[in-house]
Amino acid sequence: MKTTIVVCVMGVFGFGEVNKIIDVVLFPKDSKEIANILDKIETGSIIGELNALIKNLQNKGYGVFIFENSRLAKRVSEKLSINVDVVIPSESGEILRGNLDKYALDVGFVKHSDEIYDWVHNVSMELAKIKVRNAAKKRDLLIIQAIQTIDELDKTLNLFVSRVREWHGLSFPELYRLVEKHEMRISLINNLGRRENFVFENLKREGVSLKKAEQIAKIAQASMGVKLDDDDIDQIQKLCKSMLVLYTVRHSLERYVNTMMEDIAPNICVLAGPLLGGRLIALAGGLTNLAKMPASTVQVLGAEKALFRALRSGARPPKHGIIFQHSLLHDSKRGQRGKVARALAGKLTIAARVDGFSGRYIGDKLKEDLKRRIDEIKEDKKLRLLKEKNHVRKS
Amino acid sequence: MSVKVEVHQQFPGIYCVSFEKKKLATKNLVPERDVYGERLVKYLDVEYRIWDSYRSKFAAAILNGLKKVPIQPNHKVLYLGAASGTTASHISDILGERGHMYCVEFAHRTIRELINNVCLVRSNMSPVLADARLPEQYLSLVEKVDDIYCDIAQPQQAKVLADNADIFLKAKGWVMLAIKARSIDVTKKPLDVYKQEIDTLKIRGFKIEDVVFLEPYDKAHAMVIGTWK
Ligand SMILES: C[S@@+](CC[C@H](N)C(=O)[O-])C[C@H]1O[C@@H](n2cnc3c(N)ncnc32)[C@H](O)[C@@H]1O
Repeated sequence: MKTTIVVCVMGVFGFGEVNKIIDVVLFPKDSKEIANILDKIETGSIIGELNALIKNLQNKGYGVFIFENSRLAKRVSEKLSINVDVVIPSESGEILRGNLDKYALDVGFVKHSDEIYDWVHNVSMELAKIKVRNAAKKRDLLIIQAIQTIDELDKTLNLFVSRVREWHGLSFPELYRLVEKHEMRISLINNLGRRENFVFENLKREGVSLKKAEQIAKIAQASMGVKLDDDDIDQIQKLCKSMLVLYTVRHSLERYVNTMMEDIAPNICVLAGPLLGGRLIALAGGLTNLAKMPASTVQVLGAEKALFRALRSGARPPKHGIIFQHSLLHDSKRGQRGKVARALAGKLTIAARVDGFSGRYIGDKLKEDLKRRIDEIKEDKKLRLLKEKNHVRKS
Repeated sequence: MSVKVEVHQQFPGIYCVSFEKKKLATKNLVPERDVYGERLVKYLDVEYRIWDSYRSKFAAAILNGLKKVPIQPNHKVLYLGAASGTTASHISDILGERGHMYCVEFAHRTIRELINNVCLVRSNMSPVLADARLPEQYLSLVEKVDDIYCDIAQPQQAKVLADNADIFLKAKGWVMLAIKARSIDVTKKPLDVYKQEIDTLKIRGFKIEDVVFLEPYDKAHAMVIGTWK
C-alpha cells in the first residue's frame, strides 16, 4: 500500500490512498525546536518524529512512501531501505496546505483554529533566523581567507617596498624620506621613473601638493645618486607596476571584508573594526568558535607562543594578543594596558556571542560601556598616583 | 491643516487621504510605528500610514487606475521578493489580524531587517528565507493562498510566479506581477519584455485581467493582474 508523508509546522503526517490521515506524529510545542526540526528535515535528516511515523506506517502494512522532498526521500530510501517515490506537490500535501487550520484543530495541535497562525509566525521567525545565521557561518570562512590574503599582501608589499627603496635608492636615496606613503612613492616611481623626471611640473601633475613638489624637485636636482640607464629604470618600473596592482587588490579586499563583517558580525565590527574583528575570527577558526571562547582566551588570541612559553617557564603570561592592534590599547599607558585589554576582551566576547548566536545589534551599547570602563581605569590610576604622592609626602 | 480620510470606493482595506494632494493609505496595524519613514496620520482616532507611490509599485498601480485589487482583508498571501517590507507592510495592514502573509526573500541581509523591524511586530507576516525559484523548499512552511504578489526584479519573473502558483495558489486565486523591463533583458525594449512575460503567464494558464504602467512613479515598470483561467 502507498502512503504519502507530508511535513508541516505541526508535525509529520502520513496519508493513505484516499488522502485520509492514517497517522501523525506531532512536534514538541516549542517554536524554536520546531524550527530546528524543519531545518534538519530540509537538509535531508531523518529526525525522530519521521522515524517513528515510518515505523507506525510500516506496521500498518504500508510499503511505498511518497515524499514531497527529494533529498529526504533519497536519504530515507538509503538509510531505512524502503521504497520511496517523490511527488511535488502531492495530492495529500495540497489538501493539508489548503486546510491548515482545520487539520490543526483535528489533530489537536491547537484548541482554537486561529492559534495555528501564531505557530506559523513564530516557527517561521525562528527558522529564518537559523538560516540567516547558517548563511553567515559559511561566510566567515570567506572572510578568513580574505583577511589572511590581506596580511600576506602586506608582508609581500613591505618586502618589495624595501627592495625598491634600495634599488631605486641607488639613484634617488632621499625619496624614501620625502614621500612617506609607500603606495604614493611606488606610484611616483612607476609614473616618473628616473630621478631627472622628478621636476616640479611632473610632480604637480601626479597630485603631489605644491609645497612638497617644490621640495622634492629641489632635492632631486641636488641628489648624489647614480644615473640610471633606460634598461635599469625599466626593470624597477616593472616591479612598481606589479606592486600597484597588488595595492589595488588589497584595497578591494579591504572593502570586501568591511561589508562582509558588517553583515555577519556587526557587533564585533563596531567594537574592533572590520580588520581586527576579521583577524580575531580568523585566529579562532570561525565566528562560532570565537563565540564559544572565554574572554581570557580572546584577550591573548594571537599570542599563543608567548602564552605557552609563559606556562612552561613560569614567566609572566602575555597581557594581550592581537587585540593590541586596537587603538584603545596601544594608545593607553603601559601600566593600564592589562586592565584595558581585559575590558576590551570582555566586551568583544559578548559581541562575538551575539553575532554568533542571536544576531541582534547591541554594538552601540557595548561601545558605550567599554568607553565608560576605560574612563574608570584611567581615573583609578590617577587616584592611585595621587594617593601615593600624598603617602610619600607624609612619610 | 485639515486631513480627511475616506474609504477607497473600490478596494476594501485601502483608504484615501486628502491634504495637499490625494494620497493612498492603509490602516496601521501597529499604531505609532512606521516602517520606512512614511507619514502617519490620525483621523477620528484611527491611525493610517501614508502609502508612498514612489516607493511602492502596488500603490503606483492603484493610482494609475488598476481595475482590480485582488488582495483583500482576511486573505492568505504569498509575497515573492518582500525585501525589507515597504510594500509588504501595507499588504499586512490590508489583510488585518485575521489574514496572513508569507514573505519570501533570499538576500539574508535584507531579510534580517524584515525580521527585526517588521515581522517581529506584525504577527500576520511570516518571513521565509528562500529562493523563490525553488518553491518546493518552503512546502512545509507555506500553505495555499488566495493571492501571490511577485516583485523579484529578475529574469523569468513570470515563470517563477507561475511555478509558485502551481504549488500554492488556490483554485480561484489571483496573481500580481510587477514587471521590471530593464532587469530582465537590457537589450530588449520594455514593451517586448512586458509582452514576453505576459505571454508566459498566459501559457501557464492565467487570464490577464489588467496591465498598468507605473510611470511617472517608476520607470520601465508595469503591474500585471491575472487569475487562473
Ligand atoms: C525590487 S525588490 C522588491 C521590493 C519590494 N517588493 C517592495 O516594494 O517593498 C526585489 C527583491 O527581490 C529579492 N529577490 C530577487 N530574486 C529573488 C529570488 N529568486 N528569491 C527570493 N527573493 C528574490 C531581492 O533580494 C530584492 O530584495
